[in-house]
Amino acid sequence: MTLFHFGNCFSLAYFPYFITYKCSGLSEYNAFWRCVQAGATYLFVQLCKMLFLATFFPTWEGGAGVYDFVGEFMKATVDLADLLGLHLVMSRNAGKGEYKIMVAAMGWATAELIMSRCIPLWVGARGIEFDWKYIQMSFDSNISLVHYIAMAAVVWMFTRYDLPKSFRLPVTILLGLCVYKGFLMELFVHVFLLGSWTALLVKAVLTGAISLCSLFLFVTLVHSN
Amino acid sequence: MFEEASEVLENMLKWSFPLSLVLFLVLVCPLRAEAAHEFSVYRMQQYDLQGQTYGSRNAILNTEARTVDAEVLSRRCVMVRLADFSYEKYQKALRQSAGAVVIILPQNMSTMPQDIVQQFMELEPELLATETIVPVYFALEDEELLSIYTQTQISSSSQGSSSAAEVLLHTATANGFQMVTSGAQSKAVSDWAITSLEGRLTGAGGEDLPTIVLVAHYDSFGVAPWLSYGADSNGSGVAVLLELARLFSRLYSYKRTHAGYNLLFFLSGGGKFNYQGTKRWLEDNLDHTDSSLLQDNVAFVLCLDTLGNSDNLHLHVSKPPKEGSPQHALLRELETVAAHQHPDLKFSMVHKKINLADDTLAWEHERFGIRRLPAFTLSHLESHRSPARHSIMDMRSVSSLEGLSRNTKVIAEALARVIYNLTEKGVGGDLQIFTEQMVQEDQLASLVDWLTAQPRAAQLLDKDSSIVNTLEYYLSRYLKDVKRHLVRADKRDPEFVFYDQLKQTMNAYRVKPAIFDLLLAVCIASYLGVLYLAVQFLLCLYNLFLLLFI
Repeated sequence: MTLFHFGNCFSLAYFPYFITYKCSGLSEYNAFWRCVQAGATYLFVQLCKMLFLATFFPTWEGGAGVYDFVGEFMKATVDLADLLGLHLVMSRNAGKGEYKIMVAAMGWATAELIMSRCIPLWVGARGIEFDWKYIQMSFDSNISLVHYIAMAAVVWMFTRYDLPKSFRLPVTILLGLCVYKGFLMELFVHVFLLGSWTALLVKAVLTGAISLCSLFLFVTLVHSN
Repeated sequence: MFEEASEVLENMLKWSFPLSLVLFLVLVCPLRAEAAHEFSVYRMQQYDLQGQTYGSRNAILNTEARTVDAEVLSRRCVMVRLADFSYEKYQKALRQSAGAVVIILPQNMSTMPQDIVQQFMELEPELLATETIVPVYFALEDEELLSIYTQTQISSSSQGSSSAAEVLLHTATANGFQMVTSGAQSKAVSDWAITSLEGRLTGAGGEDLPTIVLVAHYDSFGVAPWLSYGADSNGSGVAVLLELARLFSRLYSYKRTHAGYNLLFFLSGGGKFNYQGTKRWLEDNLDHTDSSLLQDNVAFVLCLDTLGNSDNLHLHVSKPPKEGSPQHALLRELETVAAHQHPDLKFSMVHKKINLADDTLAWEHERFGIRRLPAFTLSHLESHRSPARHSIMDMRSVSSLEGLSRNTKVIAEALARVIYNLTEKGVGGDLQIFTEQMVQEDQLASLVDWLTAQPRAAQLLDKDSSIVNTLEYYLSRYLKDVKRHLVRADKRDPEFVFYDQLKQTMNAYRVKPAIFDLLLAVCIASYLGVLYLAVQFLLCLYNLFLLLFI
């Protein structure tokens, strides 16, 4: 609904990233170029995923209302490639754990923001027609920032050789939740027929829970050594 | 590392420059957003007749929607439902210089109560008479349009009556609608050709036979050209004429029943615009050609206009027929047939002198009367000013066919009695010449159905239109010498000028008022501020945590 609305949505989406970048001390480490590299890895991983999905997964030919649980589940499994990508990024960066996690997560999330949100916002939010979905999209990008930070942290923890035995299980569970979060969200929306704002709320709560758990585990891990 | 990076970046930019240029152009180009609802709107008539302008002048629209109860109507698009429409409200909208008026008609007109339909029919000529620069549109109602209307009504009626806080809250939840039409400003259509069709059945027995001319105009008229189906006026007239053509061509194909009269059938175009087709046809036949059936012995001209569903039948004449003339014979035969065979039909003659001072002629026979050809018009309407002749409410669902088929029988019988001279031969009034199988009600029904399936306004039928082609084909099945006759307006002093942009697509976009954007900006700024503080707080907490553990 005009450029002003686009500006609103864009600032809502982008500023938290900016805030996180500034406040997490990444700017002191000259990590900009590393973040861009992480973003490039994101692009590459998404491309591979798309090719894989297009080649091996048939299109769903059922009715419109029926939700293909198995198919979507298989598709979500392909998202494991995201984890591999994050691991790749983190392994190439030398430094402390937090540094690696933040760089990888910032780069990944910013690339996702630019790729999947900028163009819909530009084309849609600028039009005459008003729709709440653009604000929701911007909120969603905030939530995914937190989600990627948590995911990077969990991946980092998973690959540590000094991970205590008792942590293995929670970390694996969290890893699984991270990968299948999208699938779970769609399941909730479909089964409980949630409205768009309620779905957003549920997603925020879920992401919050995952990130709190991973933060707790991370802090315990780092500072128990 | 940085040198490599900068080199890599430079290379990347060099290659991606064309791509980024394309991207830039794509992003900057004007938007075509998706609308909440897109629907067809039909514009009110706009035409010039003999130098006088009628109807709504303008065509473009890009304004906010309001309903007619709102306080401020200027530069807004006023939406009214047919049930709530009245002339005072229309005047009010025009006085406040509204941006446009959209009148929402129900999909199925038969659900409307009769008095509203009647009231609207009477308003139509007044709407056209007030020349206005405000575009007036008609739209057919569907669910989404109805929901848009109700939402607009709620927001319109609540304006100006609540406190500032309520208004503020209202802006966050209200949905305004912006109505935008596609299409350009209306301009005059140049070189429009009105087509008329003629065909004949030649009589038996040599030269100098008297000619009977049967005329009906095939176009229709209403306040919106795309909505004027003209079932009764003049779809019924055309159906009767085509039926008569069929019947008499059958009679004329046998030697025994081949009568001594030439029958000339004429389907005229532009009838509702002061009978332009007929006027030019007469000029061409009487002034510009050497020999024509119209120049010699014309017995009479019978014009058929609005013969649908009523128990009345009037023969309109401009001067009463003299005794012993063929016109008087027809009048007498019509009376006889009506009295003996259809006693429920009330037949009468109506005498109205031609008034040349009027803007438009009353009936089609007056065109012939001016050229001194004996003519009359048959109609079930008593007055030419009846609103039923110029209404969009004249639709197929409303007219029944009993009256039409009975009138067809009456006319066919009377004509047959005249051309075979039956009364003088002593044939009684009870004898039916055309039996049940000959005048077929299904035939009439299918003709009327076909005629009313699409709008037949004169502005919409050019010489290639399917209606004209089909009429020509139909006539050529039964008549000989079927010819087209084109009328084009004179270049320097046009008798009629038509305008385009009569049907447009209107988009309704959901919009929020400007204050909503500001409100949203304030909310987002506060959200970001809270976020920033929270992050700082978390960092402090984290550092504290570290201190405690290390």
